[in-house]
Amino acid sequence: MVGIALEIPPDVTFVILTTITLLAAILALQAKELIYGAVALAISFIGIAGFFVFLDAPYLAMLQIAVYVGAVVVLILFTIMLVRREEVEPAERPEGGEGAVGLWIAGLLAVSIAGVAALAGPNLPQSIQPADLPISQLGPVLAGDYPVPLIILALLLSAALLGALVLAKVDR
Amino acid sequence: MIVVMFLTWYERKLLARIQLRIGPLYAGGPGGILQPIADGVKLIFKEVMIPYKADKPLFLGIPLMLVFLGALPFAVIPFGQHWVIANLDVGLVFVFAMASLFPSMILIFAWASNSKYPFLGGLRSLFQQVAYEIPMWISALSVVMLAGSLDLVDIVNAQQKIWFIIPSLLSFIVFFIATMAELERLPFDLPEAEPELVAGWFTESSGAIFMVIFLALYMKLYLMSSLITVLFLGGWWGPAFLPQPVWFIMKTLVVATFIIIPRGVYPRLRVDLLIKIGWTRLLVIAIANVFLTVILLNTGVLAAWGI
Amino acid sequence: MPTLVSFIIVSAALLGIGIYGLSVKRNAIRILFAVELIVNAANLNFVAFTRYMNPPQVSGQVIVFYSIAAAAMEAAVGLALILVAFRLNSSIDVRKLNKLKG
Repeated sequence: MVGIALEIPPDVTFVILTTITLLAAILALQAKELIYGAVALAISFIGIAGFFVFLDAPYLAMLQIAVYVGAVVVLILFTIMLVRREEVEPAERPEGGEGAVGLWIAGLLAVSIAGVAALAGPNLPQSIQPADLPISQLGPVLAGDYPVPLIILALLLSAALLGALVLAKVDR
Repeated sequence: MIVVMFLTWYERKLLARIQLRIGPLYAGGPGGILQPIADGVKLIFKEVMIPYKADKPLFLGIPLMLVFLGALPFAVIPFGQHWVIANLDVGLVFVFAMASLFPSMILIFAWASNSKYPFLGGLRSLFQQVAYEIPMWISALSVVMLAGSLDLVDIVNAQQKIWFIIPSLLSFIVFFIATMAELERLPFDLPEAEPELVAGWFTESSGAIFMVIFLALYMKLYLMSSLITVLFLGGWWGPAFLPQPVWFIMKTLVVATFIIIPRGVYPRLRVDLLIKIGWTRLLVIAIANVFLTVILLNTGVLAAWGI
Repeated sequence: MPTLVSFIIVSAALLGIGIYGLSVKRNAIRILFAVELIVNAANLNFVAFTRYMNPPQVSGQVIVFYSIAAAAMEAAVGLALILVAFRLNSSIDVRKLNKLKG
């Protein structure tokens, strides 16, 4: 889909999407103001949705936007606005060796995963033609092959909703 | 864009007739039709005041994003059998996903104004819009079940023999009311209520910013009207003596008229009642309609119309 | 079309960023950001594998469907917890939120 309709070659799209998503992710954690961080997080979610579109999963992309950017980011913004105090806003400089250790751990983990993947490169499944997974296939599989997780998901959602309500209730 | 300008003129004339006035008449051209241009010129020349300590990049950037989001879903709405710019398999979910981005941007904008009234208005507006998204999604679910596809072109094609408003009348009503609430039009106007909150979440925007937001709101109005036309009123189908897009635009204008009219007619609803209606009554009616649709589909009552 | 390996690398990078944020940041809300990033990285991985498998499986998309819903739920409950913790301790600095009492 992408790369054929527009005249941008798919590799360029991939690089652009990667840059946007990763930069926004880093910004989300490093931004001085929490709200800028939340906006950056929303941008990285949209970047991931772009990836989903790129990977022939448009329904998931729309779902990602509707759920994550439409609801989760709203909740986050809401919480940020309700939790404002002077002392939670100072610069997030990790003190001492904390930052370096964190960087090393995260970096090693990411590099090792990427390394394993790269080494196994030629043995990974490769499929060049675009995946043809229309929604009409997703529905029957969801309801037919995996009905139990669907019901459990519904129960979980209700439980989470009730739990959040009870937790955040203000006792008058 | 042109349609939006026309719509603002149309709305003011219509409201004025309802209120027994004549409406904009002086701005030149027949019947004051150049009024939107006059409005635009005036707003551009007004000084753009940015509140002290407001968040400049957000304040200026978000209205543009709003307009962009308001215009983007038009790409997937079909104006005629082959008059669609980009037909996505998941066209309907795309429109709804874009619609669900509005509340978050309004919240950010209200916060970026850094003053009490817009923020409160923004919170109320957020509650309202989020509360009415779900009845919208569920009433659209009935339509999707009838049509068997999320593709907007398919949905309209399935309405060839019968408009979906007839089998799912309840969900049409729910969707219509939810649209009015999403667009913040009366009778759901509290975020804009003049005696209470000055002007709601866009209190602090003046001049060009207000014009941009205004544009975005009316674009959304047109977008929602055309969505209602596609989902419930049979899109572009009509007797063949007029080309298809003309039918589509006519139907959309009829829907827009019905959305605009209550503004001059009904009193305002209180915000907590409004939210309660959204979450309890409308949701129940929408789900009831889904059940009804399932029953209708299974008993094959609608087979005569090819569903 | 970029290969599967490049997607895994992107996903690993996101995971790394998320883990860095999770372990280093003191603000509870930023930690929540990091958790969401990690979940998104995993989702990306799933979708990439779904598309590149031969023949493409639809179960990958089902998993991502659940993952999106579950992560959204978890964010909601997490935010409610942050609100409660803030009310009781007047701070969302996780180094100060280390008492179970109260």
